[in-house]
Amino acid sequence: MTRRSIALATAAGCAAIFAAVAYAPRLRAQQEPPLPVHQVPDSKSGGTVVMLCDGKTSVEVKGLKPGEAMPHAQAVEIARQLMAQWQREHPNEKWEMAQQEHQTDQSSQPLPAPPAAPGADATAKATGAKPQSKGTQQGDTYASFTDRDYKVWKNQTDNFVEQGKQFFHDGAALGGTIGVSCDMCHPDASNTHPETYPKYQVQLQRVALLRDMIDWCIENPLKGKALDPNDTRLRALEAYILAQRKGVALDYGKH
Amino acid sequence: MAARHKSVETKFMEDRDAVLRGLRGLDRRTFLKVLAATTGAVMAKSLMPPHSFQLIEVANAAPDKTASAAGMAGKPPFTFAYVSDTHLYQRTLNQRFVRAAVKAVDDVNALDPQPDFVLFGGDLAQLGQREELDLGMQILAELKAPVKMMVGEHDWFYDLGDAWQEMFGPPNYSFDWKGVHVVVLMSVHEKDFWTARKMTPLQRMHTVAGLDNGIQSRFEVGDDERKWLAADLAKVPHTTPLLVFSHSPLYKYYRNWNFWTDDAEQVQAILKPYQHVTVIHGHTHQMLYNQIGNISFYGLLSTAWPWPYAPTGLPPLTIQMNRADPFDQFDGLGDGRINVRADGLADKIYSLWDRNPVTVKADYLVSHGKIARPPAPQFPSY
Amino acid sequence: MKPARPLFFSLLAATAVVASFTLVGAQGPGPLADPKSENQAGFPADLYSWVIPSDNPQTPAKIALGKALFFDDRLSADGKISCDHCHAPAKGFTDQLPTSMGIRAQFGQRNAPTILNALFNVTQFWDGRAPTLEAQIQGPVTNPVEMGMKSTDDAVAKIKAIPEYQKQFQDVFGHDVTFADMERAIAAYERTQLAFDSPFDKFIAGDPSAISDSAKRGWSIFNGKGRCMSCHAWNPTQPLFTDQKFHNIGVSAHNANFVPLARKALDTLSKSGAGEQEIDKLAIGTNMSGLGRFLVTKQPHDIGAFRTMSLRNLLVTQPYFHDGSQVTLWDTIDHYNKGGVQNPYLDGGIVALGLSEAEEDDLVAFLASLTSPEYEQASKEEYDLQFKRSRTDRPQRDTAAANGDKGRGPGLAGPFGDIGPAQNEENPALLGGD
Repeated sequence: MTRRSIALATAAGCAAIFAAVAYAPRLRAQQEPPLPVHQVPDSKSGGTVVMLCDGKTSVEVKGLKPGEAMPHAQAVEIARQLMAQWQREHPNEKWEMAQQEHQTDQSSQPLPAPPAAPGADATAKATGAKPQSKGTQQGDTYASFTDRDYKVWKNQTDNFVEQGKQFFHDGAALGGTIGVSCDMCHPDASNTHPETYPKYQVQLQRVALLRDMIDWCIENPLKGKALDPNDTRLRALEAYILAQRKGVALDYGKH
Repeated sequence: MAARHKSVETKFMEDRDAVLRGLRGLDRRTFLKVLAATTGAVMAKSLMPPHSFQLIEVANAAPDKTASAAGMAGKPPFTFAYVSDTHLYQRTLNQRFVRAAVKAVDDVNALDPQPDFVLFGGDLAQLGQREELDLGMQILAELKAPVKMMVGEHDWFYDLGDAWQEMFGPPNYSFDWKGVHVVVLMSVHEKDFWTARKMTPLQRMHTVAGLDNGIQSRFEVGDDERKWLAADLAKVPHTTPLLVFSHSPLYKYYRNWNFWTDDAEQVQAILKPYQHVTVIHGHTHQMLYNQIGNISFYGLLSTAWPWPYAPTGLPPLTIQMNRADPFDQFDGLGDGRINVRADGLADKIYSLWDRNPVTVKADYLVSHGKIARPPAPQFPSY
Repeated sequence: MKPARPLFFSLLAATAVVASFTLVGAQGPGPLADPKSENQAGFPADLYSWVIPSDNPQTPAKIALGKALFFDDRLSADGKISCDHCHAPAKGFTDQLPTSMGIRAQFGQRNAPTILNALFNVTQFWDGRAPTLEAQIQGPVTNPVEMGMKSTDDAVAKIKAIPEYQKQFQDVFGHDVTFADMERAIAAYERTQLAFDSPFDKFIAGDPSAISDSAKRGWSIFNGKGRCMSCHAWNPTQPLFTDQKFHNIGVSAHNANFVPLARKALDTLSKSGAGEQEIDKLAIGTNMSGLGRFLVTKQPHDIGAFRTMSLRNLLVTQPYFHDGSQVTLWDTIDHYNKGGVQNPYLDGGIVALGLSEAEEDDLVAFLASLTSPEYEQASKEEYDLQFKRSRTDRPQRDTAAANGDKGRGPGLAGPFGDIGPAQNEENPALLGGD
């Protein structure tokens, strides 16, 4: 998602620049020398060639007649191909999203998704269309989240969940002594139902949270020793289990 | 891997050597018992037997245990029992699975009258190790009734079946029993996923052992074995009832967990002409049953650990069992029996440990759920 | 709900009055027989309100009548056995015998459970065959090896013939003596036997010095390594140390041969078209007693299963388990520690625990902290006796089995040590135990 939207923004940006390059001379012809125009190679199959703003990277879109608009999905794919080509030519370059001058378009972020305006157009969201900077609040902590932030934080979160996944599949790493791992009885964390906690857990005979039950399972079916609540392993396991149940409604106390 | 052609005598002598090698792992009393039986059997058999040595049958050879002509003749009804999916580790690592396998053997031995034979449903070992298979063999050797072995993926993918075949013979075979034709399939072949990834045998085994990692290939019977099956069935009249033993389900339930046979439709097509076909499969570790056309499917219970029902793909006829209590090391597990009826259809008794047994009848499956409905759960998986 | 204190005092007064009427030549039942106050640490007020039946509310006169009946040996066929014969207040409302002795010195097969807190049980008896305290009473009264009355009618006739009782029944119930009313009265008295207020209850209420460090460690083991809590459930709403369910922990397997016994039981029950009395007789009298709840439900998973008992006041209700086979608390813990006694129906929750000697001592210290104040002295004496015995005499201990099958269990053949298949199918008593 992120790469695609960056690519798309790039493509859009390049298109804007290209358009600016193409038309600017008409507006200011007397004051400045003409800007360079990129030579776009001809299409081999009667389609359209789309070129990146570096003047070198291009991709042929077969079957697209000149002047015809691409469907959205195809445009995303073309932008992706352009990016991929460019990155192959420049393996040591790091591609970074330029800092936005105005309000970051939150709909282009993968998480967390703040509530979209009712009836928000899905296409608009995906193409990175930016909301009006006038209507949104400025200056506080939550107003200053950027795409970079989201990317970093998602990376951290996904890594932590991935860590939990490793532990979930490795009983010995949790201190289990009989070769039993969590995924044996809970493939893909099935039947863990974290959305039902807190609840009276029959095996523990008390009201338990998810981490209490994880600890109990480590002690009993895995035959290890219970982990400290602050142990990274326990927290990572909890993260992995919760991540597998994204979207399921909370229902505490359910048996 | 290429199969080396061996003469029948060479294979026989190699098998016999394997048997005697296997004897060295047993304790003294069992060793003597087996040796006596083996020696007798060797002398009784000619030098060119039709089948290779199968230690289980030989070791427990006794007048009431060999598949004598009298035992195999006749017609249904008859009953066979099963023990499945024991997933044994070495004894020094995990006692719990050993205790459970022994409990199943005790259950079957306590049946009165004894079943005609006992099917082992696959996954004897957990990581395909020789010690694990030996341990499993020792445990199953205590069964009084004759044992029919079936291979599972946990037994196979460490050494691609070398140890299994040495100990138990060919992974697919057939036999007739009281007017029913019984086929045992090796239905957990997988397309090579390990060579390109440069996996060691143990890595390959661990990958196959992990249900949800998505790296291993889907199970299949495979072209060669489907041909073998068709050829084997060519001589069997369509009115003969069929029992098909398979580790994978021979239908498509949940791809992500390999509750799946990739060429299921093709296998089912081979079975389609037969009036009464019952597939008995392991691998799924839960009470599970299905009806597709003329074929009834019954899943076996495991003795090692239970699985929740998959999020999608559950056959509509299956009524879930209550979810398992992790405090109880035996809950959701067990063994059971299959009663083959006079008409060749089969009812299944799930002997669930620490729960009341559940019987699923052929009538329920064949009527697509209209009659003889099994009891409902109070707490299915979620 | 009536306020506690006024009830307490009026009960005390009523008891004193009634006692003087109905007890003929016997010593008074003593202060331990008195109704107990609800003003105890750990008393579960909500649970109490749930268990008092709407058709048998507590009233002082009814309780006094019930108490009189409870201590009256005229309720038995030979006039020698009253309820307190097996449920003596001074002995924690038990008889401290392995199994109870009834009429004509006959012994039953089950250990007498305590009346203390019995009102909170979902079912009564070791096998739960009586659904209420009222329904439980008929069992011993008509059981041929307990109180031996031929029928409940006989019991009614006997009581009716006593003028004081006639008057009391008229006063309390408004009509002549019936057995149902006798049951109501006795049950009402039994519902006054509340036993909380132990050091543990005070610890939970917020006094950290109420129990010893050893007991605190024991409480921790109870919740963790010992796996006790899952069946001996305690929470402030139901602070009874029982899940009210039935489990086969392998006690019967010391002496019984289960699989053939189960088949025999099924045959017997189906033939005689057994009603409650038949089951009662079987439960107490015959060698089928070890089958437990199976005799009631006839479900295979109930074979050898008995009710999880409360753990309060254990040091006055010895010996332990349904057959009273274990003499000290250390014996009971040794039984669990080694994973019970193997039998085909052993509950899968019973596993070897690997507790050390020190951990067992801590567990016993914890159990000792569940003693109600009126039994403090007697419990302390019993604890000292048991402690002394536990240093030298441990018939159930099997350390190898407790530590996880590294060694062979006693009496077992086969290549798998104590998890091996039964070599001798005839006698599971040879498996891992006494």
